[in-house]
Amino acid sequence: MNTRSSASIDATLRARSRRLMWRDTRHLLVAVMPGAAWILIFLVLPSLYLISVAFMTNGPYGQPSLPLSLESFRNLAGFGFLGWSPGNLYTLLRSLWQTALSLVLVVLVSYPIAYYITTCRKKWRPIMLLLVVVPSWTNQVIRAFGWMNLLAPGTPLSNAAEALGLIAPNLGLFPSNFAVTLGLVYNFLPFMVLPLYAAFEKLNHGLIEAARDLYASPVRAFFVAVLPQTLPGLLAGSVLVAIPAFGMYVIPELLGGGRAMMLGNLVATQFAAGSNWPLGAAGSMLMLLATFIGLFVLRRMGRKLGGGDEVVI
Amino acid sequence: MRKKSAFQRGLSAFWWLTLLFLYAPLVIVMLFSFNSSNSAARFTGFSLRWYERLLGNELIIDAIGHTLLLAVVSSVIAVILGTLIGYGMYRHRGRKLGWLIVLIYLPIVMPDIVFGISNMAFFVELNRLTGLLSPGLGTMIIAHVTFEIPFVALIVYSRFVGLDATLFDAAKDLYASPLQRAVHFIIPTLKPALLSAFFLSFTLSVDDFVISFFTAGPESATLPIYIWGAIRRGISPEINAIATLMIGAVALAAVLSLLFNRERRHL
Repeated sequence: MNTRSSASIDATLRARSRRLMWRDTRHLLVAVMPGAAWILIFLVLPSLYLISVAFMTNGPYGQPSLPLSLESFRNLAGFGFLGWSPGNLYTLLRSLWQTALSLVLVVLVSYPIAYYITTCRKKWRPIMLLLVVVPSWTNQVIRAFGWMNLLAPGTPLSNAAEALGLIAPNLGLFPSNFAVTLGLVYNFLPFMVLPLYAAFEKLNHGLIEAARDLYASPVRAFFVAVLPQTLPGLLAGSVLVAIPAFGMYVIPELLGGGRAMMLGNLVATQFAAGSNWPLGAAGSMLMLLATFIGLFVLRRMGRKLGGGDEVVI
Repeated sequence: MRKKSAFQRGLSAFWWLTLLFLYAPLVIVMLFSFNSSNSAARFTGFSLRWYERLLGNELIIDAIGHTLLLAVVSSVIAVILGTLIGYGMYRHRGRKLGWLIVLIYLPIVMPDIVFGISNMAFFVELNRLTGLLSPGLGTMIIAHVTFEIPFVALIVYSRFVGLDATLFDAAKDLYASPLQRAVHFIIPTLKPALLSAFFLSFTLSVDDFVISFFTAGPESATLPIYIWGAIRRGISPEINAIATLMIGAVALAAVLSLLFNRERRHL
């Protein structure tokens, strides 16, 4: 074929592709818009409304009202009618502490589990992953209820803890901060195992052997050869654990009793009848902020892991 | 294969311990639902009395009805909207769709409590201003659709990615109209993914507590909301029985979702 005709074919193709591109844009919008609009109207818009509430003043009936002010953030920091009180600050710190502690524990459990699954036969691996995920399909309330039954005073676990002198007599392991941590670890374990497993599956074992050949101790080999390779999975998992843990509502409410409140509970209380919507909205903003940081990290990690879907489930 | 080292054996033991940890709370709930006494600490004998009591409880029967209605209606809407998004994402994957991805991840990553409360505040305010959408099953359906759409879109999208891209061109080359392409090619190929997405949405809907709790009205309590209330009033073996039924139902829906989705490359 001579060059001129191929050039003219090229030109025709380009014109056609421009036309198609234009049609494509309409096509894209028609396909995507109904669902995208749904999320925009029923999630983005409500979130924006919630953010605006945070800058309003608490009205006499707990309804947000004008003028605009930063009163809610002052309230969140503990300043109220009666001067400063540390309650909210404790709640905030407890949320951060519980999130950090459960994240560390989840990581410590997930690493061996994710690694162990990759060492098993190929045909078992999907089933093993499934076994890890299945409990999380059950309703959160029911799972917390299961732990209430296991940790209540008089149960074998509580009796054992009592015999070891870990808890005061007749108190039981629930309700307590310990039960909340346990509940969080239980709840979020699969969220870490899956992305870590995805990372371990792609692990280059040659690097580990090289490290071992160079007389690195197992611990050193882990930090030099394994950790860097699984870091994207670890970070993705950390986001999937830490963000929802920080805003957890059900577990502290059921397993913590009154004194283990976290930010989610503080926020929820403010929206009950006759409370302080702006204060609740200000607390929500903290969680939204954490969410956006998480989204950002997740997108970057999704690219590194190649394909977003395995990070999500 | 190498002989199993102490390290391997340790890992294996750790695996079984973790499974015990993961399943103990569920097993305990299921076991005590058959307990003949109302003790939560000692199993005294097998009986079905708590299940019999469930059947006589009108509140629970209503709650089951609400739960199913909510799950089915929201899943159908979410499958339609989510499939369109998944299709659009795939056909236009060459473009910059960052905004869309962020929008899709938002409902997944946002903490339930913020999701639920922002919806509640929004609906309450909307209702005050316009009289529309008073809290109840309607608002719950809206909220559930919102968090189900992303999962449907991702399932459909990954099903498309698994397809041979030239199939689309082949259909076009054979002069199939867009409608014909949809009826004869896209929908049949997607059928397993659509069913899988439906059952996943259904599972997510039945599983949700927090978002339902905050968008519910006084007359629209679902099972999780009923259970929540029952727990707050004090632990009763009846809760074990409802919980066991829910564990069974959700496990069934989840298994169906997986069966229909076997072709997917990732778990």
